[in-house]
Amino acid sequence: MVLQLWRVIHAGARNFTRNLWLSTAATAVMTITLTIVLVSFISNSALTNTIKNVTDKIDVSIYLNDNISPAQLDGLKAKIAANPDVAGLRYISKADALADWRAQHANDPQLLQATTDTDNPLPASFAIKARDPKHLDSLSALVQQPDVSPLLDAKTPFSYSGKNKTTIDRIISFSSFFRTSGLIVSVIFVTISVLIIFNTIRMAIFTRRDEIEIMKLVGATKWFVRGPFLFEAALYGIVAAIVSAGLSYALLFAGGPKVKGYIDLNAALHLFQAYPFIVIGGAVFIGVCIGMFSSLLAMGRYLKL
Amino acid sequence: MILFDRVTKVYPNQSIALSGLNVHIQPKEFVTIVGSSGAGKSTLIKLLTREETHTSGKIIVGGLDYDTIRPKDVPLVRRRIGVVFQDFKLLPNRRVGENVAFALEVSGARPGEIKRAVPKMLTLVGLGQKEQMFPHELSGGERQRVAIARALIRQPKILIADEPTGNLDPKNAWEIIELLLKINRFGTTVLLTTHNKEIVNALKRRVITINRGRIVKDEEQGRYTLEGGK
Repeated sequence: MVLQLWRVIHAGARNFTRNLWLSTAATAVMTITLTIVLVSFISNSALTNTIKNVTDKIDVSIYLNDNISPAQLDGLKAKIAANPDVAGLRYISKADALADWRAQHANDPQLLQATTDTDNPLPASFAIKARDPKHLDSLSALVQQPDVSPLLDAKTPFSYSGKNKTTIDRIISFSSFFRTSGLIVSVIFVTISVLIIFNTIRMAIFTRRDEIEIMKLVGATKWFVRGPFLFEAALYGIVAAIVSAGLSYALLFAGGPKVKGYIDLNAALHLFQAYPFIVIGGAVFIGVCIGMFSSLLAMGRYLKL
Repeated sequence: MILFDRVTKVYPNQSIALSGLNVHIQPKEFVTIVGSSGAGKSTLIKLLTREETHTSGKIIVGGLDYDTIRPKDVPLVRRRIGVVFQDFKLLPNRRVGENVAFALEVSGARPGEIKRAVPKMLTLVGLGQKEQMFPHELSGGERQRVAIARALIRQPKILIADEPTGNLDPKNAWEIIELLLKINRFGTTVLLTTHNKEIVNALKRRVITINRGRIVKDEEQGRYTLEGGK
Protein backbone atom coordinates (compact mmCIF):
# COMPACT_ATOMS: atom_id res chain seq x y z
CA MET A 1 0.00 0.00 0.00
CA VAL A 2 2.75 2.44 1.02
CA LEU A 3 4.78 1.28 -1.96
CA GLN A 4 1.86 1.90 -4.33
CA LEU A 5 1.24 5.32 -2.78
CA TRP A 6 4.90 6.15 -3.26
CA ARG A 7 4.71 5.08 -6.91
CA VAL A 8 1.61 7.23 -7.46
CA ILE A 9 3.31 10.26 -5.84
CA HIS A 10 6.45 9.65 -7.86
CA ALA A 11 4.47 9.44 -11.10
CA GLY A 12 2.53 12.61 -10.19
CA ALA A 13 5.73 14.52 -9.47
CA ARG A 14 7.23 13.32 -12.74
CA ASN A 15 4.11 14.51 -14.62
CA PHE A 16 4.49 17.89 -12.91
CA THR A 17 8.06 18.34 -14.15
CA ARG A 18 7.46 16.78 -17.55
CA ASN A 19 4.93 19.43 -18.60
CA LEU A 20 6.75 22.28 -16.96
CA TRP A 21 5.03 25.08 -18.90
CA LEU A 22 1.56 23.83 -18.21
CA SER A 23 2.43 23.20 -14.57
CA THR A 24 3.93 26.67 -14.23
CA ALA A 25 0.83 28.32 -15.70
CA ALA A 26 -1.50 26.35 -13.44
CA THR A 27 0.66 27.06 -10.40
CA ALA A 28 0.87 30.77 -11.24
CA VAL A 29 -2.89 31.16 -11.44
CA MET A 30 -3.29 29.19 -8.24
CA THR A 31 -0.66 31.45 -6.60
CA ILE A 32 -2.61 34.57 -7.59
CA THR A 33 -5.80 33.03 -6.27
CA LEU A 34 -4.33 31.99 -2.95
CA THR A 35 -2.63 35.36 -2.53
CA ILE A 36 -5.96 37.08 -3.11
CA VAL A 37 -7.64 34.76 -0.62
CA LEU A 38 -4.91 35.41 1.96
CA VAL A 39 -4.81 39.17 1.40
CA SER A 40 -8.57 39.33 1.55
CA PHE A 41 -8.39 37.36 4.79
CA ILE A 42 -5.82 39.79 6.20
CA SER A 43 -7.79 42.84 5.13
CA ASN A 44 -10.97 41.34 6.43
CA SER A 45 -9.45 40.72 9.83
CA ALA A 46 -7.84 44.16 9.82
CA LEU A 47 -11.07 45.84 8.77
CA THR A 48 -13.11 43.92 11.30
CA ASN A 49 -10.72 45.10 13.96
CA THR A 50 -10.64 48.67 12.71
CA ILE A 51 -14.40 48.80 12.49
CA LYS A 52 -14.76 47.24 15.90
CA ASN A 53 -12.47 49.90 17.29
CA VAL A 54 -14.50 52.62 15.60
CA THR A 55 -17.88 51.20 16.45
CA ASP A 56 -16.86 50.56 20.03
CA LYS A 57 -16.40 54.30 20.23
CA ILE A 58 -19.81 54.99 18.77
CA ASP A 59 -22.22 55.82 21.54
CA VAL A 60 -25.43 57.47 20.92
CA SER A 61 -26.73 59.90 23.50
CA ILE A 62 -30.24 60.70 24.51
CA TYR A 63 -30.46 64.06 26.23
CA LEU A 64 -33.00 64.48 28.97
CA ASN A 65 -35.37 67.23 29.90
CA ASP A 66 -34.24 69.08 33.07
CA ASN A 67 -37.65 68.60 34.63
CA ILE A 68 -37.61 64.80 34.52
CA SER A 69 -38.58 63.22 37.84
CA PRO A 70 -36.52 60.39 39.42
CA ALA A 71 -39.42 57.98 38.77
CA GLN A 72 -39.61 58.99 35.11
CA LEU A 73 -35.83 58.68 34.90
CA ASP A 74 -35.93 55.12 36.28
CA GLY A 75 -38.80 54.24 33.96
CA LEU A 76 -36.95 55.55 30.91
CA LYS A 77 -33.74 53.82 31.96
CA ALA A 78 -35.57 50.49 32.26
CA LYS A 79 -37.23 51.03 28.90
CA ILE A 80 -33.91 51.74 27.09
CA ALA A 81 -32.13 48.85 28.84
CA ALA A 82 -34.93 46.51 27.75
CA ASN A 83 -34.25 47.32 24.08
CA PRO A 84 -32.46 44.26 22.61
CA ASP A 85 -30.15 46.46 20.53
CA VAL A 86 -28.68 48.15 23.57
CA ALA A 87 -25.43 46.67 24.86
CA GLY A 88 -24.62 49.21 27.56
CA LEU A 89 -26.20 52.18 29.19
CA ARG A 90 -24.63 54.91 31.28
CA TYR A 91 -26.43 57.79 32.97
CA ILE A 92 -24.63 61.13 32.86
CA SER A 93 -26.11 63.65 35.24
CA LYS A 94 -26.10 67.40 34.61
CA ALA A 95 -23.18 67.75 37.05
CA ASP A 96 -21.22 64.97 35.31
CA ALA A 97 -21.86 66.59 31.93
CA LEU A 98 -20.57 69.89 33.23
CA ALA A 99 -17.50 68.28 34.75
CA ASP A 100 -16.78 66.53 31.44
CA TRP A 101 -17.28 69.75 29.54
CA ARG A 102 -14.97 71.63 31.89
CA ALA A 103 -12.33 68.97 31.57
CA GLN A 104 -12.54 69.20 27.78
CA HIS A 105 -12.21 72.97 27.84
CA ALA A 106 -9.72 73.30 30.68
CA ASN A 107 -7.51 75.51 28.52
CA ASP A 108 -10.21 78.01 27.71
CA PRO A 109 -10.87 80.16 30.82
CA GLN A 110 -13.42 82.31 28.98
CA LEU A 111 -15.64 79.36 28.26
CA LEU A 112 -15.14 78.07 31.80
CA GLN A 113 -16.30 81.36 33.22
CA ALA A 114 -19.44 81.27 31.10
CA THR A 115 -20.80 78.34 33.07
CA THR A 116 -21.36 77.99 36.77
CA ASP A 117 -22.68 75.13 38.88
CA THR A 118 -25.93 76.97 39.42
CA ASP A 119 -26.43 77.98 35.83
CA ASN A 120 -25.65 74.70 34.08
CA PRO A 121 -26.96 74.67 30.50
CA LEU A 122 -25.92 71.11 29.81
CA PRO A 123 -28.65 68.48 29.91
CA ALA A 124 -28.39 65.13 31.68
CA SER A 125 -28.14 62.23 29.24
CA PHE A 126 -27.98 58.51 28.67
CA ALA A 127 -24.86 57.34 26.80
CA ILE A 128 -25.96 54.23 24.97
CA LYS A 129 -23.67 51.61 23.45
CA ALA A 130 -25.38 49.76 20.64
CA ARG A 131 -25.00 45.99 20.32
CA ASP A 132 -24.64 46.39 16.56
CA PRO A 133 -24.17 49.91 15.22
CA LYS A 134 -26.02 48.80 12.08
CA HIS A 135 -29.22 48.53 14.10
CA LEU A 136 -29.69 51.93 15.61
CA ASP A 137 -33.04 52.56 14.03
CA SER A 138 -34.96 50.92 16.85
CA LEU A 139 -33.42 53.50 19.17
CA SER A 140 -34.54 56.27 16.86
CA ALA A 141 -38.01 54.82 17.00
CA LEU A 142 -37.85 54.59 20.78
CA VAL A 143 -37.09 58.28 21.28
CA GLN A 144 -40.01 59.22 19.07
CA GLN A 145 -42.53 57.31 21.16
CA PRO A 146 -45.18 59.71 22.61
CA ASP A 147 -44.45 58.71 26.20
CA VAL A 148 -40.68 59.14 25.72
CA SER A 149 -40.27 62.30 23.67
CA PRO A 150 -41.68 64.72 26.35
CA LEU A 151 -38.98 63.48 28.73
CA LEU A 152 -36.22 64.48 26.37
CA ASP A 153 -34.41 67.75 25.96
CA ALA A 154 -36.04 69.51 23.03
CA LYS A 155 -32.96 71.63 22.24
CA THR A 156 -30.45 68.78 21.94
CA PRO A 157 -31.52 66.10 19.50
CA PHE A 158 -30.77 62.36 19.74
CA SER A 159 -27.09 62.20 18.77
CA TYR A 160 -27.56 59.39 16.26
CA SER A 161 -29.14 61.63 13.78
CA GLY A 162 -28.15 64.14 11.17
CA LYS A 163 -24.43 64.34 10.40
CA ASN A 164 -23.38 61.70 12.95
CA LYS A 165 -25.83 59.20 11.57
CA THR A 166 -24.45 59.72 8.04
CA THR A 167 -20.84 59.21 9.19
CA ILE A 168 -21.64 56.09 11.18
CA ASP A 169 -23.73 54.65 8.37
CA ARG A 170 -20.96 55.40 5.88
CA ILE A 171 -18.30 53.59 7.94
CA ILE A 172 -20.54 50.59 8.24
CA SER A 173 -21.54 50.42 4.58
CA PHE A 174 -17.89 50.85 3.52
CA SER A 175 -16.86 47.90 5.66
CA SER A 176 -19.58 45.62 4.32
CA PHE A 177 -18.76 46.70 0.76
CA PHE A 178 -15.09 45.86 1.31
CA ARG A 179 -15.93 42.47 2.79
CA THR A 180 -18.36 41.58 0.03
CA SER A 181 -16.00 42.65 -2.73
CA GLY A 182 -13.14 40.64 -1.12
CA LEU A 183 -15.39 37.61 -1.10
CA ILE A 184 -16.54 38.13 -4.70
CA VAL A 185 -12.97 38.60 -6.02
CA SER A 186 -11.87 35.48 -4.12
CA VAL A 187 -14.73 33.45 -5.57
CA ILE A 188 -13.96 34.71 -9.09
CA PHE A 189 -10.30 33.75 -8.81
CA VAL A 190 -11.07 30.37 -7.25
CA THR A 191 -13.34 29.71 -10.24
CA ILE A 192 -10.62 30.79 -12.69
CA SER A 193 -8.15 28.48 -10.92
CA VAL A 194 -10.54 25.57 -11.11
CA LEU A 195 -11.04 26.16 -14.84
CA ILE A 196 -7.31 26.48 -15.59
CA ILE A 197 -6.38 23.39 -13.60
CA PHE A 198 -9.30 21.51 -15.11
CA ASN A 199 -7.88 22.34 -18.52
CA THR A 200 -4.31 21.47 -17.56
CA ILE A 201 -5.35 18.06 -16.29
CA ARG A 202 -7.55 17.54 -19.34
CA MET A 203 -4.57 18.21 -21.60
CA ALA A 204 -2.40 15.94 -19.47
CA ILE A 205 -4.99 13.18 -19.86
CA PHE A 206 -4.98 13.63 -23.64
CA THR A 207 -1.20 13.70 -23.98
CA ARG A 208 -0.87 10.61 -21.81
CA ARG A 209 -3.73 8.59 -23.24
CA ASP A 210 -1.37 5.92 -24.63
CA GLU A 211 0.21 5.56 -21.24
CA ILE A 212 -3.22 5.34 -19.61
CA GLU A 213 -4.25 2.66 -22.08
CA ILE A 214 -1.12 0.65 -21.30
CA MET A 215 -1.69 1.05 -17.58
CA LYS A 216 -5.20 -0.33 -17.97
CA LEU A 217 -3.89 -3.11 -20.17
CA VAL A 218 -1.38 -4.34 -17.63
CA GLY A 219 -3.99 -4.31 -14.88
CA ALA A 220 -3.52 -0.99 -13.09
CA THR A 221 -6.31 -0.23 -10.65
CA LYS A 222 -8.50 2.81 -11.17
CA TRP A 223 -6.65 4.77 -8.48
CA PHE A 224 -3.25 3.78 -9.74
CA VAL A 225 -4.16 5.50 -13.02
CA ARG A 226 -5.99 8.44 -11.45
CA GLY A 227 -3.64 8.96 -8.50
CA PRO A 228 -0.82 10.71 -10.42
CA PHE A 229 -3.25 13.24 -11.95
CA LEU A 230 -4.71 13.91 -8.55
CA PHE A 231 -1.31 14.32 -6.93
CA GLU A 232 -0.08 16.52 -9.79
CA ALA A 233 -2.98 18.93 -9.21
CA ALA A 234 -2.42 18.81 -5.46
CA LEU A 235 1.20 19.72 -6.14
CA TYR A 236 0.07 22.89 -7.96
CA GLY A 237 -1.78 23.77 -4.77
CA ILE A 238 1.15 23.00 -2.47
CA VAL A 239 3.71 24.99 -4.49
CA ALA A 240 1.27 27.87 -5.02
CA ALA A 241 0.36 27.95 -1.31
CA ILE A 242 3.99 28.25 -0.26
CA VAL A 243 4.69 31.02 -2.79
CA SER A 244 1.51 32.92 -1.95
CA ALA A 245 2.12 32.62 1.79
CA GLY A 246 5.58 34.13 1.16
CA LEU A 247 4.02 36.94 -0.88
CA SER A 248 1.40 37.62 1.78
CA TYR A 249 4.04 37.73 4.52
CA ALA A 250 6.10 40.15 2.44
CA LEU A 251 3.05 42.29 1.75
CA LEU A 252 1.96 42.32 5.38
CA PHE A 253 5.34 43.10 6.89
CA ALA A 254 6.56 45.49 4.19
CA GLY A 255 3.26 47.23 3.49
CA GLY A 256 1.81 46.98 7.00
CA PRO A 257 3.72 49.92 8.57
CA LYS A 258 2.59 52.22 5.74
CA VAL A 259 -1.10 51.80 6.56
CA LYS A 260 -0.62 51.56 10.30
CA GLY A 261 -2.38 54.84 11.06
CA TYR A 262 -5.46 53.94 9.05
CA ILE A 263 -6.21 50.31 9.70
CA ASP A 264 -5.52 48.00 12.58
CA LEU A 265 -3.30 45.13 11.38
CA ASN A 266 -2.51 43.83 14.86
CA ALA A 267 -4.74 40.76 14.66
CA ALA A 268 -3.37 39.75 11.25
CA LEU A 269 0.23 40.42 12.34
CA HIS A 270 -0.29 38.38 15.48
CA LEU A 271 -1.76 35.45 13.53
CA PHE A 272 1.02 35.51 10.93
CA GLN A 273 3.76 35.79 13.54
CA ALA A 274 2.50 33.44 16.21
CA TYR A 275 0.94 30.75 14.00
CA PRO A 276 2.85 30.61 10.69
CA PHE A 277 2.09 26.90 10.33
CA ILE A 278 -1.63 27.55 10.59
CA VAL A 279 -1.42 30.27 7.94
CA ILE A 280 0.75 28.22 5.54
CA GLY A 281 -1.14 25.02 6.39
CA GLY A 282 -4.45 26.77 5.72
CA ALA A 283 -3.19 28.05 2.36
CA VAL A 284 -1.88 24.57 1.46
CA PHE A 285 -5.20 23.05 2.48
CA ILE A 286 -7.19 25.47 0.29
CA GLY A 287 -4.74 25.02 -2.61
CA VAL A 288 -4.82 21.23 -2.40
CA CYS A 289 -8.63 21.26 -2.20
CA ILE A 290 -8.93 23.51 -5.29
CA GLY A 291 -6.37 21.40 -7.20
CA MET A 292 -7.88 18.04 -6.33
CA PHE A 293 -11.41 19.23 -6.96
CA SER A 294 -10.48 20.49 -10.45
CA SER A 295 -8.55 17.33 -11.20
CA LEU A 296 -11.44 15.10 -10.11
CA LEU A 297 -13.75 17.16 -12.28
CA ALA A 298 -11.48 16.73 -15.32
CA MET A 299 -11.01 13.01 -14.70
CA GLY A 300 -14.72 12.46 -14.24
CA ARG A 301 -15.25 13.99 -17.64
CA TYR A 302 -12.27 12.77 -19.67
CA LEU A 303 -10.74 9.75 -17.95
CA LYS A 304 -13.12 6.86 -18.35
CA LEU A 305 -11.70 3.72 -16.81
CA MET B 1 -8.92 -22.82 -19.39
CA ILE B 2 -11.17 -20.64 -21.59
CA LEU B 3 -14.85 -21.38 -22.06
CA PHE B 4 -17.23 -19.33 -24.19
CA ASP B 5 -20.73 -20.78 -23.92
CA ARG B 6 -23.26 -19.32 -26.38
CA VAL B 7 -21.70 -15.88 -26.00
CA THR B 8 -23.40 -13.01 -27.78
CA LYS B 9 -22.15 -9.46 -27.93
CA VAL B 10 -24.36 -6.70 -29.26
CA TYR B 11 -22.88 -3.18 -29.28
CA PRO B 12 -25.03 -0.18 -28.31
CA ASN B 13 -25.43 0.69 -32.02
CA GLN B 14 -27.16 -2.73 -32.38
CA SER B 15 -24.35 -4.28 -34.42
CA ILE B 16 -23.96 -7.93 -33.51
CA ALA B 17 -20.26 -8.71 -33.05
CA LEU B 18 -20.58 -12.23 -31.68
CA SER B 19 -23.60 -14.45 -31.99
CA GLY B 20 -23.94 -17.54 -29.79
CA LEU B 21 -20.22 -18.29 -29.88
CA ASN B 22 -19.06 -21.60 -28.36
CA VAL B 23 -15.34 -22.04 -27.75
CA HIS B 24 -13.51 -24.31 -25.36
CA ILE B 25 -9.76 -23.98 -25.09
CA GLN B 26 -7.79 -26.40 -22.92
CA PRO B 27 -4.83 -25.41 -20.73
CA LYS B 28 -1.47 -25.28 -22.58
CA GLU B 29 -3.16 -25.20 -25.98
CA PHE B 30 -1.86 -23.04 -28.83
CA VAL B 31 -4.88 -21.77 -30.74
CA THR B 32 -4.93 -19.49 -33.76
CA ILE B 33 -8.04 -17.48 -34.47
CA VAL B 34 -8.54 -16.26 -38.01
CA GLY B 35 -11.24 -14.18 -39.56
CA SER B 36 -11.60 -11.23 -41.86
CA SER B 37 -11.94 -7.70 -40.51
CA GLY B 38 -15.12 -7.26 -38.53
CA ALA B 39 -15.51 -11.02 -38.04
CA GLY B 40 -15.45 -10.66 -34.26
CA LYS B 41 -11.82 -11.48 -33.35
CA SER B 42 -11.21 -8.16 -31.62
CA THR B 43 -14.48 -8.40 -29.71
CA LEU B 44 -13.51 -11.88 -28.54
CA ILE B 45 -10.23 -10.49 -27.16
CA LYS B 46 -11.93 -7.48 -25.61
CA LEU B 47 -14.34 -9.78 -23.83
CA LEU B 48 -11.44 -11.84 -22.49
CA THR B 49 -9.63 -8.76 -21.18
CA ARG B 50 -12.92 -7.34 -19.95
CA GLU B 51 -12.64 -4.17 -22.01
CA GLU B 52 -16.16 -5.10 -23.10
CA THR B 53 -18.87 -7.09 -21.37
CA HIS B 54 -20.88 -9.79 -23.12
CA THR B 55 -24.57 -9.35 -23.75
CA SER B 56 -25.55 -12.95 -23.04
CA GLY B 57 -24.03 -16.40 -22.56
CA LYS B 58 -21.27 -17.42 -20.21
CA ILE B 59 -17.54 -16.74 -20.15
CA ILE B 60 -15.33 -18.72 -17.77
CA VAL B 61 -11.57 -18.13 -17.78
CA GLY B 62 -9.27 -20.08 -15.45
CA GLY B 63 -12.26 -21.05 -13.33
CA LEU B 64 -13.47 -17.46 -13.02
CA ASP B 65 -17.02 -16.81 -14.14
CA TYR B 66 -17.04 -13.38 -15.81
CA ASP B 67 -20.62 -12.78 -14.69
CA THR B 68 -19.40 -12.56 -11.11
CA ILE B 69 -16.65 -9.97 -11.72
CA ARG B 70 -17.20 -6.67 -9.95
CA PRO B 71 -15.84 -3.51 -11.66
CA LYS B 72 -13.10 -3.16 -9.07
CA ASP B 73 -11.88 -6.70 -9.80
CA VAL B 74 -11.29 -5.99 -13.50
CA PRO B 75 -7.60 -5.02 -12.99
CA LEU B 76 -7.05 -8.33 -11.19
CA VAL B 77 -8.56 -10.20 -14.15
CA ARG B 78 -6.23 -8.35 -16.53
CA ARG B 79 -3.21 -9.27 -14.45
CA ARG B 80 -3.98 -12.95 -15.04
CA ILE B 81 -3.88 -12.52 -18.81
CA GLY B 82 -0.91 -11.28 -20.83
CA VAL B 83 -1.75 -9.37 -24.01
CA VAL B 84 0.47 -8.41 -26.96
CA PHE B 85 -0.66 -6.08 -29.73
CA GLN B 86 0.28 -5.35 -33.30
CA ASP B 87 1.44 -1.83 -32.39
CA PHE B 88 3.43 -3.02 -29.34
CA LYS B 89 1.99 -0.36 -27.01
CA LEU B 90 5.27 0.42 -25.28
CA LEU B 91 5.96 3.58 -23.27
CA PRO B 92 8.30 5.51 -25.58
CA ASN B 93 10.00 7.54 -22.87
CA ARG B 94 10.92 4.56 -20.72
CA ARG B 95 13.74 2.14 -21.19
CA VAL B 96 13.19 -1.48 -22.15
CA GLY B 97 13.70 -2.65 -18.57
CA GLU B 98 11.34 0.01 -17.22
CA ASN B 99 8.65 -0.95 -19.71
CA VAL B 100 8.75 -4.53 -18.51
CA ALA B 101 9.01 -3.48 -14.87
CA PHE B 102 5.94 -1.28 -15.30
CA ALA B 103 3.62 -4.30 -15.38
CA LEU B 104 5.04 -5.42 -12.06
CA GLU B 105 4.95 -1.95 -10.48
CA VAL B 106 1.27 -1.67 -11.30
CA SER B 107 0.53 -4.88 -9.46
CA GLY B 108 2.44 -3.72 -6.39
CA ALA B 109 5.60 -5.84 -6.71
CA ARG B 110 8.54 -4.93 -4.48
CA PRO B 111 11.63 -3.28 -6.03
CA GLY B 112 13.82 -6.30 -5.18
CA GLU B 113 11.41 -8.64 -6.91
CA ILE B 114 11.31 -6.39 -9.99
CA LYS B 115 15.10 -6.19 -10.11
CA ARG B 116 15.38 -9.98 -10.13
CA ALA B 117 12.52 -10.76 -12.53
CA VAL B 118 13.08 -8.21 -15.31
CA PRO B 119 16.56 -9.27 -16.54
CA LYS B 120 15.49 -12.91 -16.39
CA MET B 121 12.45 -12.24 -18.56
CA LEU B 122 14.43 -10.12 -21.02
CA THR B 123 16.95 -12.93 -21.38
CA LEU B 124 14.09 -15.36 -22.06
CA VAL B 125 12.84 -13.22 -24.97
CA GLY B 126 16.38 -12.69 -26.27
CA LEU B 127 16.89 -9.07 -25.16
CA GLY B 128 19.27 -9.67 -22.26
CA GLN B 129 21.66 -6.96 -23.45
CA LYS B 130 19.08 -4.29 -24.26
CA GLU B 131 17.58 -3.48 -20.89
CA GLN B 132 18.87 0.11 -20.92
CA MET B 133 17.78 0.99 -24.46
CA PHE B 134 14.71 3.00 -25.43
CA PRO B 135 12.00 1.47 -27.66
CA HIS B 136 12.88 3.75 -30.59
CA GLU B 137 16.38 2.28 -30.62
CA LEU B 138 15.01 -1.22 -31.27
CA SER B 139 13.77 -2.99 -34.40
CA GLY B 140 10.09 -3.89 -34.75
CA GLY B 141 10.76 -7.50 -33.84
CA GLU B 142 12.70 -6.44 -30.75
CA ARG B 143 9.92 -4.10 -29.67
CA GLN B 144 7.43 -6.92 -29.94
CA ARG B 145 9.72 -9.03 -27.77
CA VAL B 146 9.67 -6.28 -25.15
CA ALA B 147 5.86 -6.34 -25.29
CA ILE B 148 5.91 -10.13 -24.89
CA ALA B 149 8.30 -9.84 -21.94
CA ARG B 150 5.95 -7.31 -20.33
CA ALA B 151 2.95 -9.56 -20.94
CA LEU B 152 4.72 -12.55 -19.42
CA ILE B 153 6.47 -10.93 -16.46
CA ARG B 154 3.59 -11.71 -14.13
CA GLN B 155 3.57 -15.31 -15.32
CA PRO B 156 0.01 -15.35 -16.65
CA LYS B 157 -1.59 -18.67 -17.54
CA ILE B 158 -2.90 -17.18 -20.79
CA LEU B 159 -1.11 -15.09 -23.40
CA ILE B 160 -3.21 -13.34 -26.04
CA ALA B 161 -1.27 -12.21 -29.11
CA ASP B 162 -3.44 -9.92 -31.24
CA GLU B 163 -1.84 -9.71 -34.70
CA PRO B 164 1.65 -9.65 -33.16
CA THR B 165 3.37 -10.02 -36.51
CA GLY B 166 1.24 -7.50 -38.41
CA ASN B 167 3.96 -4.83 -38.44
CA LEU B 168 6.94 -7.13 -38.90
CA ASP B 169 8.94 -8.43 -41.83
CA PRO B 170 8.79 -12.22 -42.43
CA LYS B 171 12.05 -12.94 -40.60
CA ASN B 172 11.06 -11.01 -37.48
CA ALA B 173 7.52 -12.41 -37.72
CA TRP B 174 8.83 -15.96 -37.61
CA GLU B 175 11.08 -15.17 -34.68
CA ILE B 176 8.08 -13.86 -32.73
CA ILE B 177 6.04 -16.97 -33.60
CA GLU B 178 8.92 -19.17 -32.46
CA LEU B 179 9.05 -17.24 -29.22
CA LEU B 180 5.30 -17.76 -28.72
CA LEU B 181 5.75 -21.50 -29.35
CA LYS B 182 8.56 -21.58 -26.80
CA ILE B 183 6.34 -19.82 -24.24
CA ASN B 184 3.59 -22.34 -25.01
CA ARG B 185 6.02 -25.21 -24.41
CA PHE B 186 6.68 -23.76 -20.94
CA GLY B 187 2.97 -24.26 -20.22
CA THR B 188 1.26 -20.97 -21.12
CA THR B 189 -1.96 -21.16 -23.12
CA VAL B 190 -1.47 -19.03 -26.23
CA LEU B 191 -4.27 -17.44 -28.22
CA LEU B 192 -3.01 -15.98 -31.49
CA THR B 193 -4.95 -13.92 -34.00
CA THR B 194 -3.34 -13.35 -37.38
CA HIS B 195 -3.94 -12.71 -41.05
CA ASN B 196 -0.68 -14.39 -42.01
CA LYS B 197 -1.64 -17.41 -44.09
CA GLU B 198 1.89 -18.80 -44.22
CA ILE B 199 2.25 -18.75 -40.46
CA VAL B 200 -1.13 -20.36 -39.84
CA ASN B 201 -0.47 -23.14 -42.32
CA ALA B 202 3.04 -23.80 -41.06
CA LEU B 203 2.03 -23.91 -37.39
CA LYS B 204 -0.15 -27.01 -37.78
CA ARG B 205 -1.99 -26.17 -34.59
CA ARG B 206 -5.65 -25.71 -33.77
CA VAL B 207 -7.29 -23.03 -35.95
CA ILE B 208 -10.67 -21.45 -35.23
CA THR B 209 -12.17 -19.51 -38.15
CA ILE B 210 -14.72 -16.85 -37.28
CA ASN B 211 -17.06 -15.14 -39.70
CA ARG B 212 -19.79 -12.65 -38.82
CA GLY B 213 -19.57 -13.44 -35.13
CA ARG B 214 -19.90 -17.21 -35.55
CA ILE B 215 -17.42 -20.07 -35.70
CA VAL B 216 -17.37 -21.45 -39.20
CA LYS B 217 -14.52 -23.89 -38.73
CA ASP B 218 -12.62 -25.35 -35.77
CA GLU B 219 -9.86 -27.82 -36.74
CA GLU B 220 -7.16 -29.47 -34.66
CA GLN B 221 -4.49 -28.98 -37.33
CA GLY B 222 -6.16 -26.26 -39.29
CA ARG B 223 -5.22 -24.23 -42.31
CA TYR B 224 -5.88 -20.68 -43.38
CA THR B 225 -8.91 -20.88 -45.65
CA LEU B 226 -9.98 -17.24 -45.88
CA GLU B 227 -9.66 -15.22 -49.06
CA GLY B 228 -6.94 -12.60 -49.16
CA GLY B 229 -4.53 -13.89 -46.48
CA LYS B 230 -0.94 -12.68 -46.72
